[in-house]
Amino acid sequence: MTIEPAMLAFLRRNQVPLSCCFCLVLSIYIISASARGQLKNEPLGAVLMWIMRPLQIAAQGTVSWIGGLQDHYDTLAGFRSENERLRKRVQTLEIERQKLLEAQATNSSLKQLLDLRSHLSGTAITASIIANSATSWFQSCQLNKGSADGVRKGMAVVTPLGVVGQVVAVTPRTAKVLLLTDPNSGIDVLVQRTRARGIVSGSLENGTVLKYVKRSEDVQEGDRLITSGTDGVFPKGMMVGAVTKVLKQHIGLFQFIEVLPAVQAARVEDVLVVSAANSTEKN
Amino acid sequence: MRLFLLYFFIGIFLILLQSTFLHLLPFGPVVPDLVLVLCVYLGLHHPTTGAAMGSFVLGYAVDVVSSRMLGFNAFAMTLVFLSVYFSSRTIWLHHPVVSSLIVLFAALVKGLAMVLVWVIFLRSEGFWMGAGRYIIGEAVWAAALAPLLFSLFRRCENYFKKFGAVV
Repeated sequence: MTIEPAMLAFLRRNQVPLSCCFCLVLSIYIISASARGQLKNEPLGAVLMWIMRPLQIAAQGTVSWIGGLQDHYDTLAGFRSENERLRKRVQTLEIERQKLLEAQATNSSLKQLLDLRSHLSGTAITASIIANSATSWFQSCQLNKGSADGVRKGMAVVTPLGVVGQVVAVTPRTAKVLLLTDPNSGIDVLVQRTRARGIVSGSLENGTVLKYVKRSEDVQEGDRLITSGTDGVFPKGMMVGAVTKVLKQHIGLFQFIEVLPAVQAARVEDVLVVSAANSTEKN
Repeated sequence: MRLFLLYFFIGIFLILLQSTFLHLLPFGPVVPDLVLVLCVYLGLHHPTTGAAMGSFVLGYAVDVVSSRMLGFNAFAMTLVFLSVYFSSRTIWLHHPVVSSLIVLFAALVKGLAMVLVWVIFLRSEGFWMGAGRYIIGEAVWAAALAPLLFSLFRRCENYFKKFGAVV
């Protein structure tokens, strides 16, 4: 009789811990039964799922919708980043393409130089133009080869397109070239069509001109001028330029002839430096 | 009974959140355990038999929705409730920072409970690494979210009491 109230008081006082213990024991039982596969038709789970299923379907629908939005956003962001990546790739490829084109052009230029070199007898040194004239008063350029490479003063500088100029100063590693467009230069030439002779030189006033051609000589616009080979500097038959203007004055012995040089030195990069021994071409 | 129903449906809502919306957020593989926070809240503010049973049922609901075997979360949530119930009698726990610490502690208790039953009833490769990561991740997220959720629970409860009084 006296135990029951005490028991009830204990239960009432510790109802929370006791209910927790009951739940813990129940949990262990459920886990154990579940682990053994004995918990197949439990009602609480079915009720909970019955309550939650429609809510989960609705929530999942919303999540899918949000996920769709997120996917759209990700796709757009992906397009943007892809676009950015491709743009950078295009830039990189464009740079590489430029390098390849440059290499191709250099290759072609060097091949032409090699062809020319094979047509020339004696020494021929390949060089690159590393600088142009620093003043408009002189038409010259600098080569990257000098006396250490065999370049000597007086050697001719040519390209497959024609004559560039003549070496006028040499250091061990560089050489200065006086271009045919310089007023101080002079190249003995022939008019290819009529074999009339003259001297091509630069001038401050009229550009490049052909001097000392007699009034009686037949020279017309468009005539090609080639080196005569008699000056002992330039190989015979190299292209020098073309006649652009012929003026026969009433007085005087010679004609006034303007010439367009075959080689624009400002656009040339690689040249051949030919020794004076190459006075004539093989062919 | 009304409060029991309120927290039951809040719990269901939180389970829905955990099983759907929270996967959209960048939490990685760790899903913040909002039900754990609710159980801690119940242990702190409603230390009753009904709340203990509620914790068990919520844990069981989590098991029904997601566990490989039933009873794991029911056991863990009940243990969490019990530990919070005992600690709430000795510590003043109404400050948000303290609530975070308590939730952190409760999350660790839950993690230990899960490890315990897992080791006894299940075997899996690389368990300890994964368990450690999940325990710490869940504990940190739950602790971080605890002040906000506690505040929401309190507002919900106040609104429900007012609404109930009017009705």
